[in-house]
Amino acid sequence: LQAKMSRLVQARRLEGVDQNIWVEFVKLAATHATVNLGQGFPDFPPPDFLREALVRAVGGGNHLLHQYTRAFGHPPLVKILAEFFGKLLGRELDPLNNVMVTVGAYQALFCCFQAFVDEGDEVIIIEPFFDCYEPMVKMAGGTPVFVPLRPKAPGAGKPMSSADWQLDPAELASKFSKRTKALVLNSPNNPLGKVFDRGELQLIAELCIKHDVLCISDEVYEWLVFDGKEHVRIASLPGMWERTISISSAGKTFSATGWKVGWTLGPWRLLQHLHTVHQNSVYHCATAAQEAVAVGFRRELERRERADSYFTQLARELQGKRDRLIRSLEAAGMTPIVPEGTFFLVADVSAFASDVPEAPGSDEPFDSRFVKWMVKNKGLAAIPLSAFYSGPHKNDYSRFVRFCFAKEEATLDAANDILQKWKQERAAP
Amino acid sequence: IEFTKVAADPSIVNLGQGLPDISPPSYVKEELAKAAAVDRLNQYTRGFGHPLLVKALSQVYERVCGRKIDPLTDILVTVGGYGSLFSAIQALIEEGDEVIIIEPFFDCYEPMVKMVGAKPVFIPLRNKSDGNFATSADWVLDPTELANKFNSKTKAIILNTPHNPLGKVFTQEELQLIADLCIKHDTLCISDEVYEWLVYKGNKHIKIATLPGMWERTITIGSAGKTYSVTGWKVGWSIGPQHLIKHLQVVQQNTLYTCPTPLQEALAQALWIDCKRMDEPDCYFYSLSRELEGKRDRMARLLREVGLKPIVPEGGYFMIVDVSALNVDLSDVEDNQPYDYKFVRWMIASKKLSAIPLSAFCGPETKAQFEKYIRFCFIKKDSTLDAAEVILKNWNKQKA
Repeated sequence: LQAKMSRLVQARRLEGVDQNIWVEFVKLAATHATVNLGQGFPDFPPPDFLREALVRAVGGGNHLLHQYTRAFGHPPLVKILAEFFGKLLGRELDPLNNVMVTVGAYQALFCCFQAFVDEGDEVIIIEPFFDCYEPMVKMAGGTPVFVPLRPKAPGAGKPMSSADWQLDPAELASKFSKRTKALVLNSPNNPLGKVFDRGELQLIAELCIKHDVLCISDEVYEWLVFDGKEHVRIASLPGMWERTISISSAGKTFSATGWKVGWTLGPWRLLQHLHTVHQNSVYHCATAAQEAVAVGFRRELERRERADSYFTQLARELQGKRDRLIRSLEAAGMTPIVPEGTFFLVADVSAFASDVPEAPGSDEPFDSRFVKWMVKNKGLAAIPLSAFYSGPHKNDYSRFVRFCFAKEEATLDAANDILQKWKQERAAP
Repeated sequence: IEFTKVAADPSIVNLGQGLPDISPPSYVKEELAKAAAVDRLNQYTRGFGHPLLVKALSQVYERVCGRKIDPLTDILVTVGGYGSLFSAIQALIEEGDEVIIIEPFFDCYEPMVKMVGAKPVFIPLRNKSDGNFATSADWVLDPTELANKFNSKTKAIILNTPHNPLGKVFTQEELQLIADLCIKHDTLCISDEVYEWLVYKGNKHIKIATLPGMWERTITIGSAGKTYSVTGWKVGWSIGPQHLIKHLQVVQQNTLYTCPTPLQEALAQALWIDCKRMDEPDCYFYSLSRELEGKRDRMARLLREVGLKPIVPEGGYFMIVDVSALNVDLSDVEDNQPYDYKFVRWMIASKKLSAIPLSAFCGPETKAQFEKYIRFCFIKKDSTLDAAEVILKNWNKQKA
């Protein structure tokens, strides 16, 4: 009897995209971590009003909320999103043609790459980058072209901020060729926390317009900006609406990463192609969660910029947690980069290098070895910055480690305890 | 997409899209409410499937298949059965491959195969009955015709049993025929079994993966939506050998990473409840099909009274109907659309009853063969079927 197939069974599009850092690091944290500041999810719950909305949706009399809804987005949700984001973008959005709901922002990204990237197309990715962009571009047959954010020295006496990591304009311009199809922008940026300012976005916009390039704008952390910084939407810059897909996430917006509701905004001439991919991949998204997110946005629309807006409160709370973690890390001897946004920060751990055993002959980047050693020996989980760099660049900034601070006070206290104890152990003769 | 828009009008009795308007069982709804109340269940879970869910699925299907199923390596949880089809095709089908599709087919198979640059190769089920009491069992594949569709480029065959739209439940012999060819030509089988629990008296759902030599080359797809009447949950699964499932997992980590947590938790809890009573008639896996059998029979009777010829399904919740005997003259209708498209539009407009034209489910070459049929969905509450009954009983009183 014939058992396995005798010929190659998997498709070639899977070549080079089969590795995934999260599988390994999530397992490590699950096995060893007492304090998990690794994977990016809150350890506090979504707000009560959102959970109540879900409970009402599933338990209420309308059991049609357990059945298929409109494939491109549940009507109440796309309606409120069009209204809410129309105000932010300063333009009238059609709920049916300018908004498409996806299974998390992750699936929105997948639809964009599948819809727009062809074999031989180049896609510019800014490093460090959320790790899925590279394999998604490759799976679509495209070629990723990387351009780094480079750290500049901060102003005298000031700690390094994510604002000090910048693109070199000439270097960026040199990455555009006639094969460039799209540029992926992530602002606020995971992992650095950088919030691109208007001038930086203008630079990117000019190049996109000059070279007739699309912009895939991952803005999932759009509400998590600190110190009064403004999140500027590149789609609102002149000449950009027609060439930009803006991506958002209910998971990050409402601290409900497990709901996997995301959406794209853009002109119909681009969205129609996302529809094609969507209807041939997942087709419908879960109904009840969409209904609940719609309720969440209606509430937030009423409270826009008021003190009782969840978005305002969440940003304020996270800013406090950011500052708490920064103090802990500095006290321990690590050098954090102060993030302008997101719930991540990156810290220079070179002062701790001597703790980690040497690994002669290994080409694993230092930060990756550090993180593995740290979780096994100190119980503190984080993610190496090299995870967010392309292969050839993994050693460029490998003295940095990413921490997630969307955590309860108790978790941050426990992290502080670990760090202080560690510092004392190192100081002791 | 086209027909869901047309039938969104509430004055129309919608027997078109495969959407239950009956309530899911109450414990299923309760489990979702309970899951939402647990803090950590609102955050990311394991990418390839929530641990509690894959464990529950392995228990249910170990029983059904009579073999050990590893929850971590042999199962992938996807966004509905649809998401499993997509993941399997993206993972295993290469540009230039051929994929055999049995007509009529659930309409997404063709575009999904084309999207990976592969070639769909169609083979029709043919109606062997001549009488007025045809059933889906009368629709069969021609063995020689099927064998001729296989060649060295054939990467997979997509099987759908119980079948949408016909309701056919493939027999052991029919599955053996397909299995023999898969083994002989070293092809894969993607087996869409989302309606696996909806089989009516006298029929048995057989999993092709349980035939000798087939586990190693089959991906079997299931759906919470169809199992528990919760199509809006969009939770499905692929089950198969590790050496195939691992490639579907790679697709998952590059497309959506993970599926929603609270829905998976709730589904796991519901599956445990029914897994424990798989020996009892109360188990929802069996009780739903008993409920639907009555609706099936009622629908068939009403249609016959009007002069339509239903093909009584052995499984699933769809019924196809031969409308040619009514001889509705639609030659004045513009455009070169197949007859069944025109018939359905006419029926929606003049009878306020919707269905789906069968030629939506076939390839370009067979439209002529299928254009006298339309598909009704009967997983509807009594009041919907009552409304359909009124329309059907009045049908002949005002012929177009």
